[in-house]
Amino acid sequence: MLQYSLRRLLIGAGMLLALSMLIFVMLRLTPGDPIDAYIDPNVPMSPSDLVELRNTLGLDAPPPVQYLAWLQQAVMGNLGYSIKRPDQPVLSLVFSRIGPTVLLMGSAIIISIIAGIASGMISAVRRNSVVDLSFSLFAVTGISSPPFLSALVGLYLFSVYFNWLPSGGMLTPGRDFSIADLLHHLILPASLLAVAQTALIMRYMRSSMLEVLNQDYVRTARAKGVYEFWVITKHALRNALLPVVTLIGSTIGLAIGGAIFIESVFNWPGMGLLMVDAVENRDYPVIMGSTLVIGACVIFVNILTDLAYAVIDPRIKVG
Amino acid sequence: MNAMSKISSAIAIAAMMATTAMPMLTAPAQAATLSGGFDVGPGGFQGNFNPLAATSGFTWLSVYFEPLVTYDEKLQKVVGLLASSYEVSADQLTYTFKLADAKWHDGKPFTAKDAKFTMSLAQNAKTGSVLAARLTAVSSVEAADDKTLVIKLSAPSSSLMDTLTKVMMLPEHALSQIAPDQLAKNTWWSTTPIGTGPFKFTRYVTDQYVEMAANSDYRGGKPALEKVINRYFANPAAAIAALRAGEIQFTYVDSNDLGAFKNNKDFRIIEGDSFVVNYLGFNHDSPIWKDARVRQAVMYAINRDAIIQSLYGGAAKTANCAYVSEQVVPKNIEPYAYNPEKAKQLLKEAGWDQINGNKPITLLTYYTTPLAANVMAAVQAMLGQVGINVTPRAVDTPTYNSIVLNPTPDTSQFQMVYAGLQNGPDAGSINVGLNEKQIPPAGPNVARVRMPELTKALDVALGETDAAKRDARYQEVCKVMNKDLPWGTLWVANRYGVASAKLKDFVWTPAPGGGPYQAHPEKWSIAD
Repeated sequence: MLQYSLRRLLIGAGMLLALSMLIFVMLRLTPGDPIDAYIDPNVPMSPSDLVELRNTLGLDAPPPVQYLAWLQQAVMGNLGYSIKRPDQPVLSLVFSRIGPTVLLMGSAIIISIIAGIASGMISAVRRNSVVDLSFSLFAVTGISSPPFLSALVGLYLFSVYFNWLPSGGMLTPGRDFSIADLLHHLILPASLLAVAQTALIMRYMRSSMLEVLNQDYVRTARAKGVYEFWVITKHALRNALLPVVTLIGSTIGLAIGGAIFIESVFNWPGMGLLMVDAVENRDYPVIMGSTLVIGACVIFVNILTDLAYAVIDPRIKVG
Repeated sequence: MNAMSKISSAIAIAAMMATTAMPMLTAPAQAATLSGGFDVGPGGFQGNFNPLAATSGFTWLSVYFEPLVTYDEKLQKVVGLLASSYEVSADQLTYTFKLADAKWHDGKPFTAKDAKFTMSLAQNAKTGSVLAARLTAVSSVEAADDKTLVIKLSAPSSSLMDTLTKVMMLPEHALSQIAPDQLAKNTWWSTTPIGTGPFKFTRYVTDQYVEMAANSDYRGGKPALEKVINRYFANPAAAIAALRAGEIQFTYVDSNDLGAFKNNKDFRIIEGDSFVVNYLGFNHDSPIWKDARVRQAVMYAINRDAIIQSLYGGAAKTANCAYVSEQVVPKNIEPYAYNPEKAKQLLKEAGWDQINGNKPITLLTYYTTPLAANVMAAVQAMLGQVGINVTPRAVDTPTYNSIVLNPTPDTSQFQMVYAGLQNGPDAGSINVGLNEKQIPPAGPNVARVRMPELTKALDVALGETDAAKRDARYQEVCKVMNKDLPWGTLWVANRYGVASAKLKDFVWTPAPGGGPYQAHPEKWSIAD
C-alpha cells in the first residue's frame, strides 16, 4: 500500500512537470507577451520604452532558460510574482481565489441537487399535471441555455429590473464582512450556475422515478396499504436515486466550465476570473501558477480516490 | 388536499426558491459614499496602484496622488496643482516650480526633496517607470529650497509639461529605503500608499474594490464626501448593470449602450472628446499602397458621414488629417467627401487591377467592441463597392501588438490596420505614429510611414518652443497628412460617462489614459 502510494505520488509529480512544460510551450506559442499586453495602442508608447521592463521580467532570455528558472523557483514553492500586479505573489493570489470558487461551485451543486431531485420527483409523481409541464419547460430551457445567456438574463431580471439582488462582487464595498452580506451576493450567481445542472438532474430524476414507480415492489407496497408518502420516499426514491448520483458526479465538470462565465459576469473573485484576466493580459506567472495548482489538486484527489476505493472495497487490490 | 400533495407543493415551492432568487433585505445606502467604476473603459487600469507604471488609470490615481501640474477640466491648458506657480526661462531650458503648502496623508510636509526624489524614480527605468524615455531631456533636478524645485533640460522640449502631468508625487520618507529595482514589487502601493490628494487610501479588497476616506487636512478644504469607492468590473456591461441597479453612481459607458440612459432623469450623460483619431493605416511596407491615387480612392470610397450618423449616432467628427481641433486644422484642405465614382476612376488610373485586383487584403484591428465590428463591416462593404477587397480581422491587444510592433513583420498579416492614436491634448502626441524615426522597434509607427516631408513637418512642430507659433506648425503637419495620406483618417469620436443625477459637482471627462485633469474630488458630493 505504501509502495503503491509512493509510486502514485511520483507519477503525479511527473504529470505535473509535463503539465507545466505543456502550458509553458503553449503560452510561448500564443501571439503577444506581457509587454505587448501592456501597450495601449491608443496611447503613444514605444516598445523601446519597455526594454528595461522586459529585461527585469526575464522575458528577453531564451525560452528554455526561462522555463528552467521558473521551475527552479517553483520546486522551492515560489511561483513568482504576477506581471499585471507586480506586488502580489502568484501563490497567495491563487490561494485567495480557491475559497470563493469552491463556495460558488459548492453552493451551485447543493442547489442543483436539492432542486433537481425534488422537482424531478414531483414531476414523476404528478405526471402530466401543470406542475410537471412547468418543470419540464424549465428543464428544456435550462438545458438549452448556455451559462453566459442565463447569467445575463438573470442579472438583468433580478438586479437591474427588480433590483432585489446585487449585480456583482462578493461583498458590499466599504462594509464589514457578514455572512448575510455574503449570502446576499452568493444567491444569484450560485442559482444561475445551478440552472443547467438542476435541469439535467431533474430530467434524469423524473424518468428514473417513473420507471421505479411501475416496479412490482412499489405496487406490492401500495397493496400492503403503506402510506403513499412512504411509498414514494422510502421505496421509490432510494432506488430511483442510484443513476442520478452517478450523473451528479459527472456533471461537476459542467459547473467548472460554467463558473468561468458566471465569475466574469458577476465579478466573483474566483479562479475563473483570475485565469481569464491572466490570459487577456498574458500574465505568464499567474497562468502557470494557477494551472499548476489546479492540476495538483486534480491529481491529488485522484490518488486519494484510488486509495479510498482500496480501503472501502477489499476486492480492489492495489499495488 | 392529502399529505402527499401538501408535501409535494411545499417541495415545489422550495425548489423554485432555490433555483430562482429571492429578494433579501438590502442595507440602506451609506451616507456620503460615492461608488464608481473609475477604471472601466479605455482610460482605466484596474489593479494598478503604481503611478510610475501607469499607462492609464489617472482618473482614479489622482483621487489620492497629485502631480506638480495637471490639465484643466477641458484639457486645454496645463495648470499648477502641487506647484502653486511655475516659470520657464527664456531659453526654455530651466523650469522653476514654486510648491504649494501641502501635507502627505501621514501629516508630514510635502517638500521639494520629495519632488526631486519622485523625478529620480520616474527617470529611472529600473523602477519600472514608463515615463523614463519621455524624460530623457531632463539633465538635472534640484531642490533650491523646501518649496522650490528647478528642472533643467539639455534641449528644449515642447512635451515636458504634458509628461509632468503624469508624474504623481511620491513621499521620499516612505519609499527611499526600497531599492529602485524592488519598488514595483513592493506591497506599499496596494496596502499603505500615501499621497497628498483629497482622499486617503483605506483598503483594497483584491480585484473587488479600492476604498478611500476623506483627507480632512486637505489644503483645498475638507472633502464633501466621506468615502470614495472604486469598484472593479470584468467588463463594461457589468458596470452598466451595477449603475442601473443603483449600486454605483458613475461609470464609463460605450456610445452604443447609452440608449438606456437617454431621457432618463435619474442619470446624467457626460460627453467629451476622446482625443483619439481613428484611422485606416496603410502598411507602407506593402507595395499595394505605393500609388497615392489608391490611398485617395480609399478615402473617397468610404462614406464617413453615413457611418458617423448611423453607427456613432452623430457623436464623432470627420478627420481629414490627424486633428479635428480648429486651431490645428488649416482651411481649404481636401474634405474627401464620399464619391465612389471618383474612387473607381482613381483606381483605374492607378492600374489597381494590376497592383492587387480582387485579392483579399487583411484589415487588422484590436478593437473588439460590437461598434467596431459594425464599422469594419461598413468599411468592408464600401471598399468592396469600388473594387478593394478587405477582410477584417479583430484580435486582442497583445496579439495585435505582437504582429504590428514586430521589427521584422509579416506584411501579409496586416496590409491595413483599423486603429486609433492619441492626438491631444498635446498635439505632438501623434508624432510617434507617423514619424519615420518611430518605425518599430524604435517606436509605434505601425503603418511604417516613410514620408520625409511629413517627418520634417513633425520634427519642426515638436521643436517649436514658441507656444504662439506651435499651432501653425501643426497646421503644416495636418496639411501634409491631408495631401499625402500616410493614413486614411476617419474620425474622432466622443466618449461618454454616465453619472447618477444625485451626484453634485462631479467632474469627469474621457481623457486619454484617464487624464489627469482638474477633477476637484474634494468638491464631489452626493444628494440624499
